[in-house]
Order: sequence, then C-alpha cells, then structure tokens
Amino acid sequence: MDARLRRVNKEISGTDLIPYPQNMRLIDVEDCKNDKTSQIKIELIDESPFHLKGSFPGPEGTPYEGGHFEVDIVIPESYPFQPVKMKFITKVYHPNVSSASGAICLDILKDAWSPVLTLKSTLISLQSLLCSPEPNDPQDAEVAKHYMTSKTSFEDTATYWTQIYAGGPGPKEKKGKGVGSKDTRDEVAIAGLEKAHVDRFETLGFQRTKVIDALRRLNYRGPNVAQISDDRVVEELLK
Amino acid sequence: MGSDYEYSDDDGEYYDDEEMFDGTQDEDDSGDDVDMDNFGDDFKVAAKGKRKSYEVEYESLSQQAVEKLMQRDVDHICGIFGVDIKKLRGSKADTANLLLRYMGWNKERLIEKYMDNATSVLVAAGVTASEPVSPPAAPVRTHSIPAPNSSTPRRATTRGSKLLSLASGSKSAKSPPSTPNPLQRQLSKKADEAFVCQICFNDAPDLQTLSLSCEHAFCTECWTDYIVSKIRDESEHSIRCMAEGCALVAPDHFIRDVLIPEPGAPVGDPAKEELNSKTWSRLQELFARHFVGCNSSLKYCPYPSCTNTVSCPSAASKSSLTTIVPTVSCGARGIGGSAQDVSQSQHFSLGLQGKEHKFCFGCDIEGDHRPVICGVAKMWLRKCRDDSETANWIKSNTKECSACQSTIEKNGGCNHMTCKKCKHEFCWVCMGPWSEHGTAWYSCNRFDEKTGVDARDAQSKSRASLERYLHYYNRWANHEQSAKLSLDLYAKTEKKMEEMQITSALTWIEVQFMKKAVEEVDKCRMTLKWTYAMAYYLAKGNEKELFEDNQRDLEKAVEDLSELLESPIEADQIPTLRQQVTNKTVYVQKRNEIVLEDTANGFLEDRWRWNVSVPGFDDPEDA
Repeated sequence: MDARLRRVNKEISGTDLIPYPQNMRLIDVEDCKNDKTSQIKIELIDESPFHLKGSFPGPEGTPYEGGHFEVDIVIPESYPFQPVKMKFITKVYHPNVSSASGAICLDILKDAWSPVLTLKSTLISLQSLLCSPEPNDPQDAEVAKHYMTSKTSFEDTATYWTQIYAGGPGPKEKKGKGVGSKDTRDEVAIAGLEKAHVDRFETLGFQRTKVIDALRRLNYRGPNVAQISDDRVVEELLK
Repeated sequence: MGSDYEYSDDDGEYYDDEEMFDGTQDEDDSGDDVDMDNFGDDFKVAAKGKRKSYEVEYESLSQQAVEKLMQRDVDHICGIFGVDIKKLRGSKADTANLLLRYMGWNKERLIEKYMDNATSVLVAAGVTASEPVSPPAAPVRTHSIPAPNSSTPRRATTRGSKLLSLASGSKSAKSPPSTPNPLQRQLSKKADEAFVCQICFNDAPDLQTLSLSCEHAFCTECWTDYIVSKIRDESEHSIRCMAEGCALVAPDHFIRDVLIPEPGAPVGDPAKEELNSKTWSRLQELFARHFVGCNSSLKYCPYPSCTNTVSCPSAASKSSLTTIVPTVSCGARGIGGSAQDVSQSQHFSLGLQGKEHKFCFGCDIEGDHRPVICGVAKMWLRKCRDDSETANWIKSNTKECSACQSTIEKNGGCNHMTCKKCKHEFCWVCMGPWSEHGTAWYSCNRFDEKTGVDARDAQSKSRASLERYLHYYNRWANHEQSAKLSLDLYAKTEKKMEEMQITSALTWIEVQFMKKAVEEVDKCRMTLKWTYAMAYYLAKGNEKELFEDNQRDLEKAVEDLSELLESPIEADQIPTLRQQVTNKTVYVQKRNEIVLEDTANGFLEDRWRWNVSVPGFDDPEDA
C-alpha cells in the first residue's frame, strides 16, 4: 500500500482500513486514544482520504474559549516528508491567522516541519498557537497592530469573533460594548473599534462601512486614538 | 555530471577529466588546416590574447573544478582541526564539510569561531548534538534484510506527538535536540521485537532502520523518501535528522549510503535506483551551487541545465560594477574555459543557433548588455517595463491641461473642458482658454488665437520628454525585435549557403563568410540595443554627441550589412557579394569594437555624465 495512505490511515483511524467515504463516518481520534483533554477531532470532507477537516475547542483562559474551530487539512503528495497544508475554516481573530483567508503562520507548517509530526500533534500546535500569539511575526498585519496597541481591546474583538463565528459564549457582560442580541452582527465590534468613534465620523456624513474600513486601516484604537488627528482620518476617508 | 564522480573521504581521489577535452570545437578557426586564402585571418581585427578594455578577465570552471576548490578548503580545514574533529565520528572531511557549509565557506570566520567555542560551532553546524551521545562510527544499521512493506494491523502509537514542543512561531531559536526519551531508547534496544517506524508506522519485524548519531531511528525507506524529497523538491542540501527538534545534519557518507546501494546489495527497483543516483548527483550540484553562492567572485551559469561556474574576481565587488561591464561566458561552447562539458560542447556545435552561454557577472539581465553598466541597464529595463505601454497610450489618448499640466483623457462630451484639478476651462480642440470661445459650444474656429498657440506650446513642451523616451524606446525595442528574429535569419542564411555551394564552385569553408556576417550583425544589434538605453540617460554635451556619432556609424554599417545579407543571390555575383560582405563584416566589427572600447574607456576614465542620479556616480549637476 502507498506509504502516504497507510500513514494517514494510521493517523486518523488507528486501523489499517481505508476509511469508507460513503458512510462519511466520523472518526474520533479521542475514542482511539482515550485522550479527553485536547478533544481534537479529524473527519473526512469528501471521498479523498487526503482532504480532511480537523476541529478543536478554543483553549481555556483565552478569548477563544468555548469556541469550536475547524481547520481545513490537505495532505500533499509527499506527506509526511513535506508539511500538511492547514488553514482555518472558522474565522479567527488572531495575529498569526489571516482574518480573510484563514491562512496560518506557524513554523512547523513550513520550515520547522518534521516527518514525525502527526495531524493530531499539528492540530495541538494550532491550539497552542491560539494561546500564545506571535505579533512580531504576523500573518495579519492589521490584527497584529491591534494586538500591539491594546491587548484588552484585541481580546474583546477576538472574543466577539469567537462568539459570532465559532459559537462561543460571548463576552462576560462587558461594559458598554453594545453587543445586543447574538443574531445581529455588530460590524463595529467585528472590526475591533469603538462605537463612539465610528458614530462621530459617521455624523460627518461618511458611510458607516467606509468609516469602519478607514478606522480599521488606521488602527484607530487605544492610545492610538490620541495620536491620529481627525484630519488624518478624514483624509483616509476621502481616498 | 558527477554521477561517476567518486567522492571518497579518506584519500580525496577524483576523476579529473579536466585535461581530457583540450580540443575545442571551434569551427571558426578551421582556416589553419584548410589551404584557403587564409580565410580565418579575414576577420581578425586585433591580435588575440590582448584583452580589450571592454572585456573582463574571467575563467570558466566545470563542476568538477568547483568541487576541487571545495575540496581544497575542506582539506585546509581538516589540516587545522584534524586532531580535534577526528575523535568526533565519521570522517574528518564530512565534519569539515558540514562546518564549512554552515559558515558559508568562510574559512577565517570558521577558524575564529571554532577556536572561540568549538562545541557551540559543532552543535550549530549540526555535527554534534548539544548533549554528548555515544558516537557510533557509522550509520547504525539495525537490521540487514530489506523488507517489503507488510503492514500488520497493529495500532499506531503517537509517541511522536509527545515529543511535540508547542511551537509558537519562534523560528530562529531552535529548541535543543531532545534527548532520546527513555521509551525510544528502550525501543531501539529491543528493536528485534517491537520497532515501529514513527513516520510510516511500519512495524514489520524485519524492518531495516538507520539513524544518525542522535540515534533517532527510522526505517530506511522513510530515510530515502525524506532525503529524495528534500533534495529534489526543496533543493535543500542540508538534510536534518527527521526527529522533531533534532538539529543534527546528515553527513555526506550517510546520504550516500542511503541513496547509492553498496555493491553486492540485493537489486531493488531499477527506476527507484536511478532516481536515487540522480538525486545524489543533484546533491553534488547543490553543494557546488551553495559554495558558488557563498563566494562573491564566483557565479553559476544561469543557463538551464548548465552546471558550469565562472570565476571573475575583478567584478566581485559592487563598486567595480560602475566601471566595468563584466560580460562572461561559461564556456559551454568551447570558448576560453579550462574544462569542458563534452556533451554540451557537442550539442551546441551542432547548429548555428547554438549560442554560447553569455551572461553578465554583475547582474541577472539575460545575455550581454555591453556597453551599458549594470545599474543603468537595470534602470532602463525597469522604466521600460513600467512605462512603455503606458507612455504610448498617454501619447495617443490624452492632452495636458494648459494651466496645471495634469494629464486629461477626453472620454466623451463636448469640447468645453473643465480641468478637474485646477478648474481651468479650455477648448479641447485648440487648447486655448474657453473664455475666448464665447458661446461657440460645439465648434472651434479660433485655432490661431495667440493664447491657443501658447497653450499648445506648453503642451508640446510637456510632451517632449515623453517623445524623447519613446524615441529611445522604439529604437531599443526595434533592435530587440531584430535580435529575436535572428534565428530566422540564421536559418535563411544557412539555406543560402547551401544554395551557393550548389550554384557556384565555392566549398563549404568558402561560404562561411555568410555565417560569420550574420553572427556579427546579431552581436552588433545587441550592442546597438543597449546604446539606446545608455543614450537615454546620458547628459547632454560633447561626450554624448561623440557617443551618438559612434552609435550612428555602427547602426549605418549594421543596416548596410543586413541589407547585403538579405539580397537575393545570383550565381555570377557571388564573388562580388562575398567580397562586399567580408569587407562590411570587418568594418562592422571594427565599428562595434570602437563603440564598446570607447564606452568602456569612458567608464574607466569616469567620463560619462548622466541626466539622472545613478548609484555610484555623482548626481547630475543641473538638478
């Protein structure tokens, strides 16, 4: 049997059987491994055993707690000698994850890959990446700037994203955030901005979405607010 | 290439084929033997051997020659560290190789660092693990019988994941190699019963395993696949141990043992073995490339699948590139090299289109960009890439506002234009201010009005720079186009040469003048092409005028010769044609030399002045 297939089989099922795509059976790694702590799951997406979906809960004590994060896994031809390709399906607000595409900046997915790493261990690494962001080596520069400027504001936004996209519990009743019901998505909170700031520029006659866009680009948060003049904002808005 | 190249650590023996191909396939020199009207001398302008000012001194090296240079460094290091590294493991040469590769072949720095702290250098280079482990002399072969992959339905273990260091993006800081955990040690000790390769999960009882001195054992098949994948897919020459976090680098003999089966070993899949031996020669190439890349006076030939290297110490520093244009050739067509790759020489002497591997040592522009120095040539190419199409479009579709000179495209509506930027109102037809037009909305009959003329003057001034650029660009592009068509010209000329041999009594050697002429035209067009890039940036003055005079003379001569070559052949005219073409060829050659020589001397004498700021030169005075 193809070495790659054998290895993937072993990894996801613990048996030598080829997974039956018809049944789309959910292969729960936990049942095989009796490992209750990490709760990492890997399942098939389509007929191919080389295109999988991994998922894990957000780590406790982080803004991602309570969320359920799904990862798209593509196993390349030369696996395990070349790293697996992983990206987040669930939108994540994190300096090392692209907020648009879900692309992940993690060394073991690139040059630090080692053939002894498995899908599961890589997913555990992803989980731990959520615990410890590396804003100095960012995938998403805007998010990283947000993180560097104001960590609390960043965490609020990350929590909000977890709530909206990953089914998290939401903020523990933060003051004046204005997050009403879970159904309506608050664009201001998604962008990690203050409602008051957006309102202020909106009253100048600019479109709300435009204001959000411009303020996000300018990183109009925390101590930065005092440093960015209104003229600069208006200039950005007129671009 | 080096598939037959024996690499032996102990005696450093080589197959040296440097002297084997001394007879180069240089067809043009054939006049010596054939008793003809000393044909070869017809084209000799200057005596060979004397270096002209537009040429640089260089030497072409084959891969074997580069490997020899590497070996010299390795031997040197072995000589110095010999006693010290002998006790490590494996061979001295392997260790010296790893150290040198790690240090980018900088011997002085290696020696300095090594004397400073030998252990840390050895660890960083991947020679030893950070904690001492018992050094086995050779790769550990636990089992000796190669086994087919029979997988048993045993459960996979994920010990690998326990080794996982929670990577948090710190890429540079490599975690120290983890000491083999007790479990693994146990495994390798009673490997006979329960070894499971941590990569393919193969647990066949007769599995053959290998490990580096870190004793991270994996099955031979995984090692092979891993090494092949690293070398072929990633072009990586430094093969680290597969265990996570282990920074040990596989020494050469280990890789060789994996890829090249020992004589007498059971014959495996021939396709696979061929791939493996190809991978091994690819690795030798990667080593040579790495060495060449680390040495600023060496450059790898950029032509596809060419493995030659050119050594050009005079162009090694960036500052030298403002005075010389280091056009070099790797010698793959039998020119001026010490060593030849025989298969390539043969291949390239087959047809007329067998171009020699000419390239610039100082930059990555394709081919020969003499007489222009790298900086200016690059600047010109960048400008052309950005501007030429845009400039053409702007020229044909837009006009400038006569008040503020912003470029305006009229995409509909009447001729009453209002500049968006300065709110100047003007007439699109005469460019004069609209105020003079009264209510004549859709027609303009005021062409000769004074203000209109003034406005058009201003307009033409702002167009002048664009025109100027297009002037140079069109000529440059024209020569480039002609050079591209030169292949056709070669083919056509070849036909004509055959025709001449049939219709007249001329022999093969006697019709070579045509080929020579085509080659000369091609060469000169290349020079001409770049003279336009040069002229565009040259500041106005006597020097530029002289330059353009030379340029014009060469261009005229080239066009004349081109025309002669294109003219139809009539049997009774051939002797005249031959004389004319030969004459012209020599003339063109001389003109070309003059342009190249004069320009090169200009650079050496710092005579050229530019109208823009060029790195390495003074800024233009009239800024």
